[in-house]
Order: sequence, then structure tokens, then C-alpha cells
Amino acid sequence: MFYIYLGITLFILVLVTFNIFEDESIFGQLNSALIIIPLILRLLMIK
Amino acid sequence: MKGNKKTAIGVILCSLAISFLAGKEFIKMKEPEPIYKGEGVTKLKMLSDYFPGIKGTNADTEVYILEGKEKGGSTLVLGGTHPNEPSGILAATVIIENAKVNKGTIYVIPRTNNSAFSHNDPQEGSVQRYYIKTKNGSRWFRFGSRATNPLDQWPDPDVYIHASSGQNLSGSETRNINRAYPGRPDGTFTEKAAYGIAELIRQENITMEIDLHEASPEYPVINAMVSHERAMPIASTAVMNLEFDDITIGLEPSPVNLRGLTHRELGDYTNTYAVLMETANASQGRLRGKTDEALVLTGIDPTYVKAQKLGRLYVPYDEQGHSIEERVGRHTTGVLELINALGELEPENLIEVEGIPKKDELVENGLGSYLKDPM
Repeated sequence: MFYIYLGITLFILVLVTFNIFEDESIFGQLNSALIIIPLILRLLMIK
Repeated sequence: MKGNKKTAIGVILCSLAISFLAGKEFIKMKEPEPIYKGEGVTKLKMLSDYFPGIKGTNADTEVYILEGKEKGGSTLVLGGTHPNEPSGILAATVIIENAKVNKGTIYVIPRTNNSAFSHNDPQEGSVQRYYIKTKNGSRWFRFGSRATNPLDQWPDPDVYIHASSGQNLSGSETRNINRAYPGRPDGTFTEKAAYGIAELIRQENITMEIDLHEASPEYPVINAMVSHERAMPIASTAVMNLEFDDITIGLEPSPVNLRGLTHRELGDYTNTYAVLMETANASQGRLRGKTDEALVLTGIDPTYVKAQKLGRLYVPYDEQGHSIEERVGRHTTGVLELINALGELEPENLIEVEGIPKKDELVENGLGSYLKDPM
């Protein structure tokens, strides 16, 4: 269960990171960049 | 402004940098504050010695044992059930570092929910630590959360069903150790920690258990002692003696329909006399203003003075606030009076202890006078 949870987190992190490259608006990129911070911290089980 | 691959790499690098800096701060929360063994500490055990099911996890915590030369009663003092309620942790530390027991035994757990010390609550703006000046230095203490770290127990259910009673509570209470008693050996992380405490009480045949808390000034049960019905003669004697010490304190019977709390479940599921005490802590309140270290240590808050004038509080509140010395002193004096009452009513369970400062001494000399210098 725990590893499935981490897998889902990683999947969303990859999607959002991919979206940063796809987004043509700088504000959209900044938005996605904010979202990946908690995802990184959770993936590393820091917060 | 248009984004391109260069700006994409730039914002990702910014995210990584922020994650690194934030991660460093969050990792720091896992460092436990130093607590030094006083002369009276005769043994140091771990909670996992009583329930091996939590060994090697963040639920395991230190149990300081202060044993007298003569046999007598025993009491367990719980600090840090809720690590955002500093007076309980500090009172437990003062007992560990100052008490000398001549007769009977005192057990002290300063970090009851050890996991809850490793984070604090989002959107509260709480400090991560606060400092107390000692004679030749400064000691730091952790300001944690009311609940177990979600890294140790997650996700929360929509509704938390208390295992032994079937009572329904809000889902977030599933990580509150003071809703998890008597605990289960095969339950959640928090239930296992609670089970460890119950096992300690059963295995050591603890005569009386005292759980030290704080509450928001707008919460009705405050400056109060809550007692299981079997402990009521001891608690009422202690409350009367506290009034003689000029400490105004209410006495509340443990509600039979509010489950999972120490004063209900440890009284029902073990032979101990279960009591809980509350002091007034503005830094956890909903009506508080600026949330900083000064608020934790002084309780001075103009919004609470205003709330008092509007009749919204259950505790007197003026410009002086409620200092940490006063709050820790209420707890240490309460512990002493409960121990005295136990000995008065049951002479075979007498505990003789010296060195624990009372409220007046703490207010006069400062809390730092009763904490060891940092090593």
C-alpha cells in the first residue's frame, strides 16, 4: 500500500514536471513549479 | 510573458532549491530536545520494553524512572501527549531533572506521543522550537503538533471509530493519542503507542497516572483537573489543597461518553487512578494574535485580553498573560498535591519526594533555575 502511494506521488510529479515544459505561459509554469514542491517532499518522506 | 524550455528549467531549479531549504527545516524537526537525567533518576527504559511492537519506530519513547530506597506507591507522569502544549513537557522535564524520591517510584514520560514532536500543524504558524534561559546558557524545546506525524500514520479516515467503544470522532482524531487509549497491539501507529502506555501501567502496577495538558483559553475545561471516578477522592483532596496554595483549579469528572482519553480508558482498563490536568496556553488558541516564541513563553496577547472583556473565556486573562512559569508551576504543584493526597488516603501507597519546585518558586526564580545547563 505504501509503495503504491509513493508510485502515485511519483506519477503525478512526473506529469506536473512534464506540464512545465509543455506550458506556454510563465505563470502556468510557476503554478506547476509550486505544486511539485510538496510532491518532492512527500516522495522523499520528509513532510 | 511566454514560457519556454529555458524558463521551464529555471522554475524547476527554483522548486528544487525551495524543496531543499524547506526539507532541511522539516528534517530538523526530527531532532529531539535534550533532557538531562537528574540525580534522582535511577533507571532509563524505553516504552518498547513494555510493548516490543513499537521497537524501532517513532512511537518508542524514553521512560525515566525515579525509584526511592523504600517501597511505596507509584505514579506515572505523562508530558508531551500533545507537543503543542508546552507546560506538560516542561513540567515533566523539571521533575526528571530535580526530583529525588525517597519512598515509592515516579515514572516520567516527557515525550508521550514521540512522533507528534517531529512536525507541527500546517497553517498554524507555530514556532518549531522555543528557548529557556538557564543559569549559564539556554535550553531549547520542541513545539510540535497535537497529532502523530502523517509520515508515521496516513491517511486519516473520514470518521475515526474508537476501537473499544465504537464512538465516532472526526477523522483527524485518529492520530491523537489522547483519543486512542486503551490502545491495541495490532492497531494503528497511535493505538500501538497508547497500548504501550497501558502496558507500562499494567506491568509496573502504577498506582496513579497524571497526564499533563494545556488548553486554549476559550476552551471550557481549563485550569482544571479531570478525574476518573475511582480517582475522585484523591483528586478532590488535591484540589482542596491546591486552593490552600492559592491555585484556583476546577475539578471535573471524566465523562463516561467521551472515549479514548487517559482519564477514562486508563481508569477503566487498568487499576491505576487516572487524572489529567489543564493549564491555559494562548499559543494553541483559535483567538490568538501574533504567534511567536514570546506568546508561548508569556501568554501575553491583546486579543485574549479583549476576548476576556467580552466574556468569551473560561480563564481570567489580563495584560500579564499566563507565563510558562505559572503554567509549569500549576502542573508541578498539582503533581505534588496528588502524590500527597494519595499518601494521605492510602498510606501503603505513600510516595516521598523532594526537589520538585512549586508554582511560587518557579514564578520567583524562573523556570531556567530548575533546568540543567546545556551540555
